[in-house]
Amino acid sequence: MSAQELDPLIHVPARLRIVATLAALPEGDALSFPRLQDMIGLTPGNLITHLRKLEEAGYIDTEKTGNGSASRTSVALTRAGRSAFETYTEALRGLLGDL
Amino acid sequence: MPAHDHTHEVLPDDGGDLDPRAAAALLDQTTRRTNRELDLHPPLLMLAAAPVVLIAYGAIWLSVRGQHPYTGPSLGALAVLYGTLIAFGVLLAVVTRRATSGVSGRSSQRRRGEAIAFAVVWTSVYVFQGALHHAGASKAIAYGIHPAAAPLIIVGSAAAAYEAAKENWEWSGYSCAVVALACAGAFTGPETVWAVMGVGLAALLIARAASRIWLHN
Repeated sequence: MSAQELDPLIHVPARLRIVATLAALPEGDALSFPRLQDMIGLTPGNLITHLRKLEEAGYIDTEKTGNGSASRTSVALTRAGRSAFETYTEALRGLLGDL
Repeated sequence: MPAHDHTHEVLPDDGGDLDPRAAAALLDQTTRRTNRELDLHPPLLMLAAAPVVLIAYGAIWLSVRGQHPYTGPSLGALAVLYGTLIAFGVLLAVVTRRATSGVSGRSSQRRRGEAIAFAVVWTSVYVFQGALHHAGASKAIAYGIHPAAAPLIIVGSAAAAYEAAKENWEWSGYSCAVVALACAGAFTGPETVWAVMGVGLAALLIARAASRIWLHN
């Protein structure tokens, strides 16, 4: 097994941290954008870019509620995202075992 | 470099090849940090609870020590008990609010349900105390053994069963230890039970905090 076999969408520091943070939540839970940003420590623009990539792949779901200044965006890992993360961690474990 | 070296520097931005060892370190570091930030029962909270129970039960024990016949705790001791419990309740609310800030979904609904169920169980313990008094039970039972041990036996049993159903063996085991302590304490009589509960519960809280630090670090 080689590093190339790791899911390239997750195998990037910022996105790995996003997915690992969301995976630590119980299934069915979501995290608000400001809390996620606070935990990851990325700029809003940077975080949005990474979230968009993950959302396009179907790994996360974003939900916006409310309007204007009261609007709130929450982010959650989808079932596909959780499964991809599990596959990634298993592959990583296998890779480290081989090294 | 070991697979879980926490000192490994990994840049948070995109780009570049990520070494599998660095990825494992980053994953481990992120998971630990997230679990710590979302933890509703951090070890420090349990350590803070230890002196609270020691003061609360200790104040009652000091007020009932040497009573012949047993008449129950003084109003001053009850004020200390409720004062420390309120102070701890405020601390608990702050910790819970911080841990759950920005978290929404199924678990927050479940927490509300849990809070209601445990409030009903807890209240029933004191309603039952009223029934004991009404039925003419002695003060040693109604104001001694029952209020010192019964809340922990009943609420602890409910918590042990609930955590076991979730396969959370750490918390289920801890709840069983609290129930066992309360059962044993009840045999020591209406005065000593307060001291046993205070010291025993404080020791269990410290042990639980230490085990959590040891298991999760």
